[in-house]
Amino acid sequence: MSRWGIIGAIIRKDLVEFSRDRLWVFLSVLGLVFYVVLFWLTPANVDETLVVGVHGEGLEQALEQYTAGQAKGIRLVPFASAEELRAAVEGAPGTSERVLMGIAFPDDFLAAAREGRGGTVTVLVDASVPSETRVALSAFVRETAYALAGDDLPVTAPDQQTVILGPDRAGDQIPFRDKMRPFFAFFVLLVEAMALASLVSTEIQDHTVTALLVTPARTADILVAKSTVGTGLAFSQAVILLLALRAFGANWPALLLTLLLGAIMVTGLGMIAGAAGKDFMGTLFYSMLFMIAMVVPAMAALYPGLASSWVQAIPSYGVVQAIFALTTGSTAWGDVARYLLMALAWCLVLFGIGLLVLKRKVESL
Amino acid sequence: MTGMQPPIQAQDIRYAYGELEAVKGISFEVGPGEILGFLGPNGAGKSTTIKVLTGQLSPCSGRALILGRSVHEHSAEVQALIGVCFEEKNLYLNMSVKENLDFFARLFSLKHFDAMPLLRRVGLADRAKDRAKNLSKGMKQRLMMARALVNSPSVLFLDEPTDGLDPISSQAIRQVIREEAARGAAVLLTTHDMLEADALSQRVAFINEGRIVALDTPESLKLAHGKRSVKMRMHGTQGVREVVVALDEADAGDKLRAAVADEGLMTIHTEEATLEAIFIKLTGRRLEG
Repeated sequence: MSRWGIIGAIIRKDLVEFSRDRLWVFLSVLGLVFYVVLFWLTPANVDETLVVGVHGEGLEQALEQYTAGQAKGIRLVPFASAEELRAAVEGAPGTSERVLMGIAFPDDFLAAAREGRGGTVTVLVDASVPSETRVALSAFVRETAYALAGDDLPVTAPDQQTVILGPDRAGDQIPFRDKMRPFFAFFVLLVEAMALASLVSTEIQDHTVTALLVTPARTADILVAKSTVGTGLAFSQAVILLLALRAFGANWPALLLTLLLGAIMVTGLGMIAGAAGKDFMGTLFYSMLFMIAMVVPAMAALYPGLASSWVQAIPSYGVVQAIFALTTGSTAWGDVARYLLMALAWCLVLFGIGLLVLKRKVESL
Repeated sequence: MTGMQPPIQAQDIRYAYGELEAVKGISFEVGPGEILGFLGPNGAGKSTTIKVLTGQLSPCSGRALILGRSVHEHSAEVQALIGVCFEEKNLYLNMSVKENLDFFARLFSLKHFDAMPLLRRVGLADRAKDRAKNLSKGMKQRLMMARALVNSPSVLFLDEPTDGLDPISSQAIRQVIREEAARGAAVLLTTHDMLEADALSQRVAFINEGRIVALDTPESLKLAHGKRSVKMRMHGTQGVREVVVALDEADAGDKLRAAVADEGLMTIHTEEATLEAIFIKLTGRRLEG
């Protein structure tokens, strides 16, 4: 008996079954098409200009001159009244331009400043503006107010020099769609893991695996075949996706290696979910459980400010960060070595657990 | 291994699921071309015995030999020589009838396998391209039977092969079983159907609570446990009456001749014991229970 012949027969059978499972074929194809379309419809550049609405009687020109010299990347939009500005920030219908932030100076601001009287400058921000931007805007208002009033800042500030650590991305920020690549790639991997879980659970629940085990096929043959099918499906789908998203750069071998580690990792999860679920809903439950946890690092890559350090403990973190780095400019193995090692370690752990769980399940039938 | 050894040998097999001892020292043999009916109620230990003999379970003690080879020391070699038809319809439902057979042929490394002759034997040739999920229950069972025969096995394990089937499907499967035995395959047949066991089996084994309680030919069991008598219903002036004639009595022949000559004779029945009655007598349990 040829072991490879038996394994090949099981792989072929699994692929036939997969190709006839309308749900997973539909989800696989739909996912690929949807992600590719979404990616290419998303803008490829980042608008780095901060648009700020401003109202100040007689201040517009002075503000334009000040910001042109002091605050690059800020575009001021003048408003005739504080009420109009407030309406624009609130997004009220009929406003000339929607702004998320606004500065309303009191009408007698200049006169009061000249006489040494205090005045209240109102900063209006939309609820969606991040807190760090609000703080920066307040600081900007304070400095501007001093300048308009003709005063120096109450501190003597030395000339500043900003030191950029790492590649300077000023004017070349990573577009949102590029940040979505690891998210899409990992999602595709997870969907294929669910497809494997479905194949495994069907084999167990229909007791077809029992029929295999009274032929010359061994448990090890079944495990090798399922591993190959799961890894192959996930890896090939992820490669197709990233090719369509033009993600392969100079260090494409590192990206391929990352995807392979990710595919093996999710294959382990697919085996666990497939073996643990008592029925379709059970398998779906375990699959969703893994999917929600594993997709968090990909979400964190989309919104870096939201991620806490605990995200690094999630098994998919290394894979996601390596994909992110390799698809957004990093080309050196050294840049991703740490992430690849993390991915390898988790890959071994999860794949090992998956094999063990499925082996025990098969042998217990 | 020797060619003279019976194809199936169970030697004092014991198996326990944790604390529960399911098989308590079962021994029997099945010869080439022989059909052994394996009868017992649910939970009696039939399926566990089959699992041990087909290499799905390792016995706690005792030996399971197929064609002289230990099932557990040479499982792959043994499993290449056996065919198993399970009670549950464990087919690949999204694959076609032919694909199901072709897949199993590849597992047995059969290079020039042609599924069609086998499908013709079980009456499924015209459904070869249909997905298994679209077959009726009887057709699925016939496909299960065909799958068990893919490798032309020397030993067949058939677990309730006609359970719940229509008479036509049952008859088709029984015919295939007879043909396989005629070819020389040893057949271990598990069934609840006493008439089927009686009609197909050269010998039957009654299993109850993990032990074989009787193992013999159906005729011997009937002789040993049944009554040799004839019951007749006669119509006379005083209405219908029953007359029982014991065949071992010296004047049994005269009594029968007289009864047959009587114009009031309505019916004659032999009082031969059924296998089910013998099973109940031996175990106190019905087979279905």
